[in-house]
Amino acid sequence: MNLVKLATPDPLDGPSDPKIGWQSQIALSATPQEVSRCLVGLCQDLLQLGLSIENLFSLELVLAEILNNIVEHAYSDASNGTIQIQVSVHDMAIWCVVQDTGKAMPNAQLPKQPRYDPQDMAVQDLPEGGFGWTLIRDLTHDLKYVRKGNFNKCSFRIDLEAQTV
Amino acid sequence: MNIHSESIGQVTILRVGADRIDAAVAIQFKDTFRDLVADATGPVILDLEQVSFLDSSGLGAVVAARKILGDAGELELCSLSPAVDKVMKLTRMNTVFPIHGSLDAALNSHGVAPAA
Repeated sequence: MNLVKLATPDPLDGPSDPKIGWQSQIALSATPQEVSRCLVGLCQDLLQLGLSIENLFSLELVLAEILNNIVEHAYSDASNGTIQIQVSVHDMAIWCVVQDTGKAMPNAQLPKQPRYDPQDMAVQDLPEGGFGWTLIRDLTHDLKYVRKGNFNKCSFRIDLEAQTV
Repeated sequence: MNIHSESIGQVTILRVGADRIDAAVAIQFKDTFRDLVADATGPVILDLEQVSFLDSSGLGAVVAARKILGDAGELELCSLSPAVDKVMKLTRMNTVFPIHGSLDAALNSHGVAPAA
């Protein structure tokens, strides 16, 4: 992992200018084990920046869903895929860009998944998957996907609560 | 995956000894669960106290575990971390699984005294 610390938040700036300038570039192999390892490391780094556990949990969950989706679908036919992640924290939000060179999303757009109401379902009908994009949409802002040449590029933002910075 | 199994009366307690139930271990979780509940006849309590992270693959494995117990089976969860609790609520799976604040509370709900 290559960490580039742009600026250290100065507590003397006070709460009126809550910005942390920080960014990280991560490249990882597209396997579920590497995804786990990457997320644990990233969250430890961000925890040290003073971000709240709640914000970090949202980030970890969203990234887990996006990255595992890439591992399972975009690179389903490839054994040596790579994923690039850029994370930056500034202007009261965590900004993320995730890129891979796997297959494009079907119809070159983000899948629409149904929102389940499992309460009314028979046990054997309960969904064992398909929660991912609903979780991602619930927890992010400005979620975007583009196919550019051989690249898939997915970006999103998670807003920080005012009291956490 | 390390899951510790213990029976008190008819109740089977499974304590997950891992920080994460995610895509990297979801299949192991499901397979280990299936082995451990092979002889279970009563309710199964899944103690998630150690689990700090659950993603949709992990959740899918917990749902699959519920199905392993069959229609008449009971799978209850206890000691959810805030992150795990959030996933359960966002996916509305908290309406499917009885959830207890602690293992003792789960055992009490079945009229079983917690082990000393």
